[in-house]
Amino acid sequence: MELALVQSNAKLYLPEPARIVKVRNFTEHEKFFQIELLRKGSLGHDPGQFVEVSILGIGEAPISIASPPDSGNRFDLCARAVGDVTKKLFTFKKNDLIYIRGPFGHGFDDKIFQRMRGKHLLFIAGGIGYFPLRSLINQVIPNAKNYKKISILYGCKTSQDRMFPDELKKIHHLSVGSNVELLETLDHPEADWTGNVGVITTLIPKIDFDPAETIAIIVGPPIMYKFVLTSLMDKHMPKENIYMSLERRMKCGVGKCGHCQMEGVYVCQKGPVFNYADVEHNEELF
Amino acid sequence: MLLKTTKTALLKGIDQVLSTYQVAALTKQDSRVLYNYVKTSHDIFWGCRPTVLPPKKFFFPPHETLLDYTADGQIIAKIESKPLVLFGIHPCDLRGIQILDEAFADLHGDPNYLERREKAIIIGLDCHQTCDQDSFCYKVGAHYAKTGYDIMLYPLKDDQYLVEVATDRGNVFAEQFLRAIKGEEKELEEYQQAKAKAFESLKPFKDLEKFPELFQENTHHPVWEHEGARCLSCGSCVMVCPTCYCFNVTDDWELNMRAGKRQRHWDACMLHDFTTVATGENFRPTATARLHHRINRKFNYLMKKHGQSVCVGCGRCVRACLADISPKTIAEAINGEDEKEWN
Ligand SMILES: Cc1cc2nc3c(=O)[nH]c(=O)nc-3n(C[C@H](O)[C@H](O)[C@H](O)COP(=O)(O)OP(=O)(O)OC[C@H]3O[C@@H](n4cnc5c(N)ncnc54)[C@H](O)[C@@H]3O)c2cc1C
Ligand code: SF4
Ligand code: SF4
Ligand code: FES
Repeated sequence: MELALVQSNAKLYLPEPARIVKVRNFTEHEKFFQIELLRKGSLGHDPGQFVEVSILGIGEAPISIASPPDSGNRFDLCARAVGDVTKKLFTFKKNDLIYIRGPFGHGFDDKIFQRMRGKHLLFIAGGIGYFPLRSLINQVIPNAKNYKKISILYGCKTSQDRMFPDELKKIHHLSVGSNVELLETLDHPEADWTGNVGVITTLIPKIDFDPAETIAIIVGPPIMYKFVLTSLMDKHMPKENIYMSLERRMKCGVGKCGHCQMEGVYVCQKGPVFNYADVEHNEELF
Repeated sequence: MLLKTTKTALLKGIDQVLSTYQVAALTKQDSRVLYNYVKTSHDIFWGCRPTVLPPKKFFFPPHETLLDYTADGQIIAKIESKPLVLFGIHPCDLRGIQILDEAFADLHGDPNYLERREKAIIIGLDCHQTCDQDSFCYKVGAHYAKTGYDIMLYPLKDDQYLVEVATDRGNVFAEQFLRAIKGEEKELEEYQQAKAKAFESLKPFKDLEKFPELFQENTHHPVWEHEGARCLSCGSCVMVCPTCYCFNVTDDWELNMRAGKRQRHWDACMLHDFTTVATGENFRPTATARLHHRINRKFNYLMKKHGQSVCVGCGRCVRACLADISPKTIAEAINGEDEKEWN
């Protein structure tokens, strides 16, 4: 290799400033942030991609972009406070500056969109798995006519853990007389809950779908995938019709630091969105 | 281009180049031999002795600052680099540098590594024997360097050296700093014949070119558990490896809280929490799984990408390991060369 020919990226680790323009509390541990780039132009992301959120003096954390691509120079992030960066982010208010690098990773690109066209989309989200899925859900719902049907299955522990309750309500309303449906389930419902009770796989039999004409998109905690995949396999869903987004420990986001590897696959480069058929034999998948 | 020179001329060249370049080479400190910067050419140790750390530290230091920033939001991407002559690098380590070059250039060019690398002239020094019991360069063909150097020196009799100038950068050094005469191809051929003879009985791994498939098929071979059970998860093997390059990133404010830095530090996939995420999930929770990952990077995952074994057989991890775990033992179990019953 002639090193002189190699493109070195001087800004690889340099984050850019962005302003918090909106903050919303979901729960004690989950918040919504709308971010505005200081520069002109958009982030230029695909649904399913992520940014590295930087807080100076604290560190960086990969966070999914929760809004669809064409939102001007604004985009949404949602965070669960679990550690150094996310807890510090929780103290941030409107007009505070954060720093970001990205968008990174491989999301729902044109090729996947082409595959989804005219198909039945089956979203299966657990808990804060709704965050990364929201970028795609909010992209396809306004264009629902391009799809045979859109079914969203959403499972949470309690009703407090439902993210974007107002948006969920809108989707429920919308579903009357349209090809969009939202089915929810709770593990531990309160007395006034009228919906389904039980783990998310109990919703799958309630959906009428032709596995060959359906594309399933799954995001949730690691344990959820195994059960959901088993249910879908029982329904003879072709593996290449299943997409999922995976979480791994990530430091650099650009294929260097090595933390995100799943066997030889760098999840920050090839993922986080994967087609199940491409990774089913990966022994480090779950 | 092939030249011929003497040790005296090389020493003189190094002393001259020291006015414009830093020079790093093997040096002897007390009883230890290590890669270090030299003040004069007399600090150079000319023998062939394995070092604890490989020369990767000159391009990818154990700790380095990526960003300097202030509390009011001035951020500077920082790269510290100086022109460097890396002198007397042996074939296994040249192979290591070549692999790191490819890894840091891949997809997104790492600015810090590449800038240091760009400013370096690498002068290799060929070996005609293995350095000790633990090295197994010949098992992976790393006793020959094909690329990764700007100049290669082949030692002849009577402190004479053949000088192969491989790149423009090498030519800068040869033209400006080295008194040499034209070398004869015939002499190099004779040298290579003698070397081939010296290594004649030292055979490469059986089925080396099939290692990626063999390792992929043998994920559940008993050798993993056997060796993994002894591993202390100390990470030493990673720290000393010329082709390990994973890192962690940390942020720190200075005490006055007005300025801070983001730094990267060598990290090790053999450490327990390398893959732990915030939910507490650890994707490689056992020492066996981690050893499997590390060795598969050398002989499977990255071997596919680089088209050659990513273990260069330097033996550093073997010398560093308190549990006597060796990639060679594992490879010989996987390819069946040891004819041992592992079950
Ligand atoms: C592609 C991707 C997308 C993501 N999207 C989102 C998102 O949209 N929203 C969201 O909230 N999260 C998301 N995450 C998860 C998020 O990145 C992590 O929760 C985040 O990195 C935590 O960073 P932190 O600095 O806050 O926590 P850290 O301080 O790094 O640690 C969090 C917790 O992890 C544990 N931990 C950390 N380091 C270690 C260690 N070395 N050993 C053992 N335990 C350790 C500790 O228990 C600690 O409390 C995403 C992750 C990925 C990979
Ligand atoms: S794995 Fe061990 S023997 Fe192989 S290159 Fe790394 S340190 Fe050297
Ligand atoms: S040096 Fe030996 S004991 Fe330590 S992590 Fe490596 S293999 Fe395990
Ligand atoms: S996050 Fe660093 S390599 Fe993927």
